Amino acid sequence: MKEMIKITLSLVAIFIAAGIIMGVTYKYTSPVRFIAEKKEKEEALKQMAPDATDPIIPAGTWSSSHGKPYEYYRATSQGKPVAYISSTAGKGYSSFIAMLVSLDPDLKIREVKILHHGETPGLGDQVEDRTLFLDQFKGKALSQLILLKTETKENIQAISGATISSRAVTNGVKDAVQTLVDTYGSGIKSAAQGVAP
Amino acid sequence: MSNVNYGTIIKNGIFGENPVFRLALSLCPAVAVTSGVKNGFLMGVAVLFVMTMVNATVSLLRKFINPKVRIPSYMFIIATWVTVTDLVMAAYARDVYKQMGLYIMLIVAFAIVLSRAEMFASKNKLLPSIVDGAAMGMGFLLALVLLGIFREFLGKGSLWGYQILVSDGKAIKPLLIMILPTGGFFAMGLMMGWLNWIDRKFFGGSGGGGGAHH
Repeated sequence: MKEMIKITLSLVAIFIAAGIIMGVTYKYTSPVRFIAEKKEKEEALKQMAPDATDPIIPAGTWSSSHGKPYEYYRATSQGKPVAYISSTAGKGYSSFIAMLVSLDPDLKIREVKILHHGETPGLGDQVEDRTLFLDQFKGKALSQLILLKTETKENIQAISGATISSRAVTNGVKDAVQTLVDTYGSGIKSAAQGVAP
Repeated sequence: MSNVNYGTIIKNGIFGENPVFRLALSLCPAVAVTSGVKNGFLMGVAVLFVMTMVNATVSLLRKFINPKVRIPSYMFIIATWVTVTDLVMAAYARDVYKQMGLYIMLIVAFAIVLSRAEMFASKNKLLPSIVDGAAMGMGFLLALVLLGIFREFLGKGSLWGYQILVSDGKAIKPLLIMILPTGGFFAMGLMMGWLNWIDRKFFGGSGGGGGAHH
C-alpha cells in the first residue's frame, strides 16, 4: 500500500513537471506562431494573384461537404476581377490537407497551393511535389477534376502509393472550384464547359 | 562505470549497434521516410536531437525515477521533449518546420529512443549518456541517409530531389517498387546482409545484425 502511493506520487510528480514545461513553452511560443501563420497566409493569398493591385479581402464564406467553413476572395486590379481565390481542404490519410485555389476570370484553375497537412512523410506528402502532382491542376476546368490511377493529361493522375492523399487534394480543389463557379460563373457560363447549371 | 571509453560508445552507435541495421529497431519509420535522401536526413536530424536530450534528462533523473514505473516515466520525458521541440520550431524556425514538422511528432513512438534511455542513460552518468544519445542518433541518421540514397536512386532516379538518371532530356522510368514500403524492406535486408558480410570478412565479427541483440 505504501509503495503504491510512492509509485503514484513519483509518476504524478513527473507528469506535473512535464505538463508545466509543455504549458509554459506553449504559452510563450503560440503567439509567435499565430502571428507567423497569419502573415504566411496573407503572403500565400498575394502569391495566388500577384497581378491584383487592390487588397484581397474576403468576399464570403462557404462550408464544405465535411462541414467546415472556408472563405473565398475576389482579387481585383482597379476594380476589375483578375482572379477568384478560395481556401479549402480535403480529408487525407491522416490529416486535413489545407489549400488555396485560385481561378482565372474564365474559371480555369490558375494555381493550387498546399498550406499545411499532416500526411505520411515520403508517401502522402508527395502531393506537395509540383512536377509530380500539383501542377496538373493548372488550366483545368471543373469538369476535368477527376482522379484517375492511369496516365492522363485530360484529368488528374493519382500518385502511386498516395492515392488517398491525391484524392483528398482533388476533392478539396473540386469543392472550392464548384463554389467559385456557382458564385461567379453566372456571367460566363460558356467558359465553365457546360458544368454550370 | 568509472572508466568510460567514448570512442567505443561512438563506434557502437554508428556501426557495432547501429539502430537500424544491427539492433533492427524503429524499422517502421525507417521504411516510411526513406523514399528520398532529404526525408531520411531531416528525420535523422530530428531523432539525433531528441535522443541526445532524452538521454541527458533520463541520466540526470535516474536516481529519482522509481524503477517500477520507469517505462511510463521515460515515455513522458520523450513526449515532453518532442512536444517542446515541435512547439519551439513551429514558432521560431518556420522554414525548417515546414520541412520537418511532419517528422517530429512521429519520434515519440520510436523504439530506439526508449531503448537507449532504458539500456544506457538510466545506468550511466550525464556525459556518457549524452555521447551515447548523439552517437546512436548519428547511426540512425547515417542508416536513413544510406537507405534513402539506395531507394531514391533506384525508385526515382534522383538524389536529394535532383534528377540524375536522364535519357533524351527526360527522366527515365524508374523502379517504382523501390519507393513503396515493399522496396524499403528489400533495401533494408540487402543493406543488413551487406554490413554483416563486411563485418565477417574484414573485422572477424559474427555478423549478428538484425536480431542477435534482442
